[in-house]
Amino acid sequence: MRVIIFSWEFPPRIVGQLADYVKKLTVQLVKNNVETYVVTYHDYLTGQYEEPEGVKTCRVTNPVRTHIGVLTWVLTLNQEVERAATNIYYNTNKKIDLIDAHDWHFIPAAVTLKKAISLPFIYSVESLEEHRSHGANSPFNMAIKSIEWLGMYEAAKVVVKSEWMRDEVVKIYKVPVAKIKVIMPKSTTWMKDILENYKSVMGGEISEWLKN
Amino acid sequence: MAQELTVMMLTWEFPPRIIGGISPHVYHLSRSLAKNDVKVYVVTCDFPGAPQHEVVDGVEVFRIDSYKNPAPNFATWVYLMNMNMQKEAAALVNRLGGKVDIFHVHDWLVSNAGIGLKHVFRKPLLATIHSTEVGRRNGIHSDYERMIHETEAWLTYEAWKVICCSNYMVSHVQWAFGLPKDKLVMVPNGVNAQEYVKNADLSLFRRRFALPEEKIVLFVGRLVYEKGIHVLINAVPKVSEKVNAKFVVVGNGYMKEPLSNLVKGMGLAHKVIFTGFVDDETLRNLQRCADVCVVPSLFEPFGIVALEAMAAKSPIVVSDTGGLSEIVEHDVTGVKVYPNNPDSLAWGITKVLLDENYANRLKSNAYKKVQENYNWNKISLQTKSVYEAVLNEYSKSFWA
Repeated sequence: MRVIIFSWEFPPRIVGQLADYVKKLTVQLVKNNVETYVVTYHDYLTGQYEEPEGVKTCRVTNPVRTHIGVLTWVLTLNQEVERAATNIYYNTNKKIDLIDAHDWHFIPAAVTLKKAISLPFIYSVESLEEHRSHGANSPFNMAIKSIEWLGMYEAAKVVVKSEWMRDEVVKIYKVPVAKIKVIMPKSTTWMKDILENYKSVMGGEISEWLKN
Repeated sequence: MAQELTVMMLTWEFPPRIIGGISPHVYHLSRSLAKNDVKVYVVTCDFPGAPQHEVVDGVEVFRIDSYKNPAPNFATWVYLMNMNMQKEAAALVNRLGGKVDIFHVHDWLVSNAGIGLKHVFRKPLLATIHSTEVGRRNGIHSDYERMIHETEAWLTYEAWKVICCSNYMVSHVQWAFGLPKDKLVMVPNGVNAQEYVKNADLSLFRRRFALPEEKIVLFVGRLVYEKGIHVLINAVPKVSEKVNAKFVVVGNGYMKEPLSNLVKGMGLAHKVIFTGFVDDETLRNLQRCADVCVVPSLFEPFGIVALEAMAAKSPIVVSDTGGLSEIVEHDVTGVKVYPNNPDSLAWGITKVLLDENYANRLKSNAYKKVQENYNWNKISLQTKSVYEAVLNEYSKSFWA
């Protein structure tokens, strides 16, 4: 299996909890024979690099240096994420099984790749704008929520880390419960659940090669 | 080329959505390309009443839902619209089996979508830069403006070639983004002269705007700083000393209210009419019956309204700047005046209005020039040869 992970934070860039979680996830994936690529952001440590544990990272920076907020910053960064992801796609002879996008930042890139090259993606939810901004509904917050909604709508599966979050996703974004998978990081079956979920998503046109 | 050349054009405006000059530009360019055997897909923003998909003169037009995301300001709206445009365009290319040879984008308003599509499908990107932030604002004064400026720089960096509509814009864009000279191509803007043929008696139409004894001085453009409309308003008293004229101002913009207050304060409300945005038919009729058309811009990459006036056989007075300097030859096809100088502008307008022989000579010279140099068939062939040159280079790259 070959997957690309999208995350806006990955060590050495640590913003919140997500960086450590994605690090742990990718190292475990490699141990389970999943060829794992990470596309992430770093301001100046850019380019391709294979981590000691075997995770292949590609760090991109923002081509537009000046911004008026995180929203515009994210929206111009997505094209670099697309560039990095499609470089991996073409360099592996178009044999990528899925994208696992963590939080909303690179959802636009995941959606474009789905539409362009029929690559399925999973939306892994760490947190939601509704909770981060305490229900604020200014156009800024609503724009971020609209991107989260897009991700929920277009994703093949939505992964959450608790039952509480599953209920929040259902309540806020009206996602069918069947589309949501609760995978708790502390659970003993965590990696097994992750891999099973990946396998359930694979099998778009792009993954035909795996069946042969 | 055995297979038909296929281009996907991205633009944030396409008729009936008309905000500025990009809309008519893309409309005429795409339909003329279609006549010259280029398959063109246009992906653009939606407009009330316009279908999501239609074929316009051989051009396939797709309109995307562009107002579905709330946005705190215009630039953020642009980036969100790009997210949606890119998604829809990507799906379209996928449906076509990837059969698109070139992505051609117009201005920074669709840069993100174009850049993303280039990388995802590994096809060359062409950008037409109609205008720049540094030019529109006469400098960069805030993070907001710098962000747009840097987005434009990013677009020119990612583009295989950058097309500009005048020699002035070529050097301006080269300076603004530090581009190598061989990356820039000049392809002029055009005008469809047939649309401006006088087809009816306009004396009744004219009475809606002016008394029979009043000359009509026409301004067409967005009511924003760079278009220099305030210069024209300040020239009104000087012109009125010598000629009985009515000033008709067509267009909208953030300066509309301050300007109409200024006009009232000057006691000229009966001499200056703000029509707001008007439909095509009214606009052309105004251009046909104007005694002089004025383009007093401070910054003008090309100056399509000058060409339109020339095609409508109305004499023109333009400020000697940007693309206008190239279109107009002083005393031959029009009158050039000093930019941002109401006295100079008033002199030019008065000269044309008081000397009928002079005005007639300018009109017929200008009309000839429009037909020879600025016709869309010629322009689309020039554009097609840019496409072919780019595809030839591309065919030798590792992406091909």
